[in-house]
This record gives sequence, structure tokens and C-alpha cells, in this order.
Amino acid sequence: MPRSPSLIYTFSLTLISLILMCGTGRSLEFKPYGRGDFDQIAHLREQRPRIIHYWSVTCPACIAELGQWAKFINERRDIDIIFINTDDDEDRERAALRLEKNGLSQATHYGFSDSFVEKLYYEVDKSWRGELPFTVLISANGPRVSVTGALDDPHFVAWLNQVNDVKK
Amino acid sequence: MTYWRLFLFALLATFSTARAQEATQPGVTGGESLNKPSMAKHPPPACSDPKPDCAMTIYPAFDKKGLLWVAYSVGKTLYVASSQDQGKTFSSPTTIITLSDGIIDAHGDARPKIIPLNDNSLLVSYTTRPDKMMIGTIFTAKSSDNGKNFSTPQPMLTSDGQRFDSYVVTSKGRIFAGWLDKTHAAQAKAEGKEFAGSGVAFAWSDDGGMTFKGKNILMDHACECCRISAALGRDGLPVFAWRQIFEGEIRDHYAAKLSANGAKLIGGRVSNDDWAINSCPHQGPALAVDTKGVWHIAWFTKGKNRQGLFYAFSRDEGKTFSTPEKIGDDAHAPAFATLLATKKGLYRAWKEFDGAQTTIPIQQSSDGGKSWSAPQILASTTEASDHPILVALKGDVFLSWGTHKEGYRLIPLNLAKK
Repeated sequence: MPRSPSLIYTFSLTLISLILMCGTGRSLEFKPYGRGDFDQIAHLREQRPRIIHYWSVTCPACIAELGQWAKFINERRDIDIIFINTDDDEDRERAALRLEKNGLSQATHYGFSDSFVEKLYYEVDKSWRGELPFTVLISANGPRVSVTGALDDPHFVAWLNQVNDVKK
Repeated sequence: MTYWRLFLFALLATFSTARAQEATQPGVTGGESLNKPSMAKHPPPACSDPKPDCAMTIYPAFDKKGLLWVAYSVGKTLYVASSQDQGKTFSSPTTIITLSDGIIDAHGDARPKIIPLNDNSLLVSYTTRPDKMMIGTIFTAKSSDNGKNFSTPQPMLTSDGQRFDSYVVTSKGRIFAGWLDKTHAAQAKAEGKEFAGSGVAFAWSDDGGMTFKGKNILMDHACECCRISAALGRDGLPVFAWRQIFEGEIRDHYAAKLSANGAKLIGGRVSNDDWAINSCPHQGPALAVDTKGVWHIAWFTKGKNRQGLFYAFSRDEGKTFSTPEKIGDDAHAPAFATLLATKKGLYRAWKEFDGAQTTIPIQQSSDGGKSWSAPQILASTTEASDHPILVALKGDVFLSWGTHKEGYRLIPLNLAKK
């Protein structure tokens, strides 16, 4: 069957437009996060120090420090930072608005897509019951620690100092 | 072929642009991408039928005729249903409301509630959060025809900024309400001042929940992301327990009785766990008051002085509490305790998770909480589940539990099975 040039042209232009919109406009996207994903994410780019930060729109302490996270990302390009939103899908839009408002649209975001939250918590830390903010700090090719609390938590500060020492 | 070449060129160019953008993101440099798609298998979404089996949170209550009522939401719709056979089957649900803006607060500690009243009417409460704000509003609706119809939901208060409402009903029909209230926090914010947490507010209704009066914020700086629990004291006054932010960001617990005029809280700090943390535990305490007037409380902490799930009682209405006793097996992440006091005894149940299976252990005490029976596993699941809630009907104890895999279950204690 002969192809219709006008049809192909229209089809190509539509696809190109869509792809360009996705590629250049890049609206905030949450990758799905479910059981088994922590292990994968924790092992990405193991040669670099990494921070996996869990947060929720129902956690005022989390929201209050989103702006500080944006600043931290800009200042510490030597550290990979991954944000994981623990809300349900129905709160995701609200989460996206919070992130955009705080200048975190371009960061890496995952969102809970598995309601078996006990399992998700357990995979990260057996003692985690869902308290937030919760942050996993992973040294380059090294051990990891988890911290309940805000960016100014002493454990976080201590880990950061350790990363700085390694850099020196 | 020209068109296809154009298409392929644009495709390649776009991907190159996207990769270049990714590589220039702060905190992201070359090599393996942090945006690697998830490879894990995710379970299918929960069902969306308007039945308790499909709800993430379910609140149960027996009326005085022995009918089980449940309030639950599925999506943006709030339902009420009843069961004549103790949860085996349910009536067709009555829709209370479908939200056009925002969501129904029905996650973890937060959930809609149904309160059967002494005059056979029903009161339903729920909290909404608008789409673009984090300000909650408590709504109530009434039914006077055995749940067939409910009044149009009305805000319980004239102001916004509430979450985690809790109710008790006295033998005379007065409904006491306690909730977390952001009024003072909003005032402080408007004045550019710091304010930790929420206020703890109270009010009561003498017209079956149509109106609430006497609103009073009696204590400030409660942890804003944990439920309040309530129980009726022996003297007919309500007792409340919540997580309080003490000096130094310490999020320990407080329990207090509301005075007869609703103007004063009388109680005290439950324990000195010393959990100094600027965070949301998302786990409020459980509370029960037994027939002798003893207060029983269970809570979760990760304090300097103790970590895990704990229980204590007060024989002097909150002036002093017993030494906290650990509940459950620490290796299995015990959490979300529920307490129940009946004429037959005192019960505590909670959630445990061993990495694969969630179980609900339960214990009974016949000596007012001094000693407890060995834990008995009342139910289990290998998928997502709601928090457990213990309810009683004429002295018989039931576990109310919704699980993703098995649906809603009301499990009698005397027929316990794994």
C-alpha cells in the first residue's frame, strides 16, 4: 500500500512537537518507586556520595526545608541527591507544586507507587516506621547511614563533614 | 523517505538535548543516570469499588443495637456502610460527598469517622485538604434515618486549619471533640514569628453534632502530623492524648482530661523519651480509660531514653505514669498500637512486619495493665494494610482491619486465627 506523504509529514511533525515539548519543557516527573527499588537506587553511581531523601506534603518539617535542599543541590554538585515523595498519587500534584515553588523541578524525583509502605520502609531501614523527613546518606563506595530529621540534624552534618574530609 | 529522515533527525536531536540537559542538572553528572526507570514490579492499584474492601483507611463503630458502621473513602468519595453480620457483608454504601476540589484526609493516622449516637442518629466527620493548600477543614454530616440519607456536610468550625479530630460521647449525649488546630500558627506566621506545631483544641456539641460550641485552644505546640486519641473518663469527662513538642523540639507525649467547663486541661507528660527531632513521626498515641478510671496509653518513640513501641498507665489521672513497658518484637518494627478497655479486661494490639508479612499481635490484661498475656497473632497479610483498630460490642472484642489482599475483616478475639 503506497504511503501518503502528507500523512507521514503530519505524523512526524506531531511526534516531533511532542518529543520536543517533553525534551525541552521537562515538567516535573516522578519515577514510580515500589518494592525493590531502594536497592537499585542506592547502588546507582556508587563512586559518588549519594543522598536519598524521603519527604511528604503532610510533613511540615519536610516542606520547610525544600528551599534549603535546592540551595544545597546548587552548592554540592559533588553529591547525587534523589528525592522520594512518599505521598499517594492523589497528593502528587500538590507535591509537584511544592517542589516547583522551591526550585527543585530539575532534581531527580521518585514517588511512592506501592501502598505496601511497611515493606518500602523496611527495605530502607528495618527501624523506619514512616517518620519524615528521612534521609539515607551513602558515602562513595562506602557504608550508609539513615537520618530521621531535618538538614541541620547532627548526623547529617557529621556525614557531610566526612564527605568533605574525603574530598581533601 | 525525506519525511522519515526529517523525523529521525529530530528524534535524535531531541534525545541529545534531553541527555545534555540531564548531564547539566545540579548534582547530576555523566555516567549512569539517576533517572533510571524503575525496574521493580509494582502491585496493581487498589480496587476502586465503593466498598470497604477498597478503602485505604476504615473507621468502625458499633451502634447500641449491635449494627457495625464503617466510614471510609475511595478516591474522592466518602461512604458509610453498615453490617448486620459483624463485617461479613455490608449494606449498599451511602455516599456522603464526592469532592470536586482537594482530597479527603484518609491516610495513615488520618481518617473519616462515624459516631453512632444515643438517639440512634449517626454523625460522620471527615477532613478535606484543598488542592493547592495544606489547610485542613473538618466537616460533619448527620443522619437521622439509620444511615439512608445524610445532611449536606458542613464545616465543624468557622475557621480552617484543622486535622486529626477525635470524639467521645457521654452517656448524656454530649459529644466532645478534640483536634489539632493551626489558628495560632497562622497568626504567628502572619506576624512573621516562628511557631512550632499546632494547637490542641476542644469543643462540644449538645445537639447531636449539628453545632459545636466552646472552641478553645488549650495547649499550643502539639506535633502536627500525628493523631489525637480520645477516651471517655469514668466521670463523664473526655481524656485526650497526643504527641507534644516540648522545649528543645522534643516530641514526647501528653495526656490530659478536659475540665467540666471546657476551659482547662488537667494531666501531664506521659514519659521522658527525649525524642528531640524536627520531623513528623506520623504516628500518634493510643488511649483507653478502664472502668476504674485508669488511663492507658501506648505510643511510638525513637528517643534518647527509649526506642520502639511502649505502654504505660496512670492511676491518678495523668499526674504520674507507670514506667514505660516495651510492646512487641523490636526486630519486627512494632507500630500503630490500638488499646481497648471493656468490662472484661484491657486489650492492646499493634502492627508488626518481618520483611514479608504484616501481623497483628494482641495481648489481654486482667489486672489493669500490670501484666499481659502472651501475644497472640490475630491476623496477618502479605500486602498493604490499614492500621489496626480494636472495637467492642457488649464486652466482645474485635479487630477491625482492612488489608489490600484480603479486604476488610472484623475478627473476633475468641475466634482468633492466623
